[in-house]
Amino acid sequence: MPITSTAVQEQVWNRQQLEQPVVAPQWRVWTYAQPALVLGCSQRALYERVVCGVPSVEVVLRESGGGAVLTGPWLVSVSLVLPPGHAWLGQGLLESYHHLGQLHADALAELGVTAMALPPLQIAGTQAALAARGLPALDWACFGSLSPWEVVDAEGLKVVGLAQRRRQQGVLLVAGTLVTEPDWDVLCNALGRPDDANPLMRRTASCARLLGRRLLAENLATVLSRRLAHALADA
Amino acid sequence: MTDITLAADAWQGVDEAVEALVDKWLVQAGDTVRAGQLLANVVLVKASLEITAPADGRIAQILVPAGGTFARGKPIATLV
Repeated sequence: MPITSTAVQEQVWNRQQLEQPVVAPQWRVWTYAQPALVLGCSQRALYERVVCGVPSVEVVLRESGGGAVLTGPWLVSVSLVLPPGHAWLGQGLLESYHHLGQLHADALAELGVTAMALPPLQIAGTQAALAARGLPALDWACFGSLSPWEVVDAEGLKVVGLAQRRRQQGVLLVAGTLVTEPDWDVLCNALGRPDDANPLMRRTASCARLLGRRLLAENLATVLSRRLAHALADA
Repeated sequence: MTDITLAADAWQGVDEAVEALVDKWLVQAGDTVRAGQLLANVVLVKASLEITAPADGRIAQILVPAGGTFARGKPIATLV
């Protein structure tokens, strides 16, 4: 079967990297011409229903955790594969998130977007502050909740989501950045949660909204690629 | 009998209240397994992780089914 979309290419690349032992860091930065709905691995029970519900949008299942993501021209993603024992992996899961989240925050700062990688100890307080504004976590969507070292603006609105997959052969880290506003209605309608579109829009911040002007996905992709090359050469 | 669970180092730095989710079992009760064999996939803090058999043996009981959650240090199955 031919690979027809970037979202499918991305998932195939991710899977293939961990099918053999990883011996050196590898990465790809993805931009998308067309929308596709990417479900987290623990959402596979929803796959058939979502495919039938939105025949006009491609639906893909990824092998990392987390909630659903709507890829498209509004998103830039990173896939990073690291060998066991790599310095970025450290101890436990969170250290690798820290490195990738900080790299994204630094890339955004270079482009004029002020955002920070959210430390684990600030998660509960930030979630509570959002809930107090009528914005409880929406765990079914990647951008509907906060996890350690994901990138947020000064109000805790999410800009970059992170996830990972750990196998004996190596570790896959993935990240997605909102460059512009996604079509939240498409995502929410597909998952049967149309009322969540407005809260999702209010829980998130795109680079364009934070900048107050347009940012090209290709520009962010270029900066991320350069920073990954530099950081991983040193790690 | 040996407990099968998620290694302690995976939980390092993770909030005490956070639980992991059993995403998929690759074996069932009664199956004979070898040390290092992949038994299950679990999800913790958006990370998909493998659980492997700590030794040769037989899966005596699956304590947390697919879709169930478990806390730090809690076994998800037992091996005899």
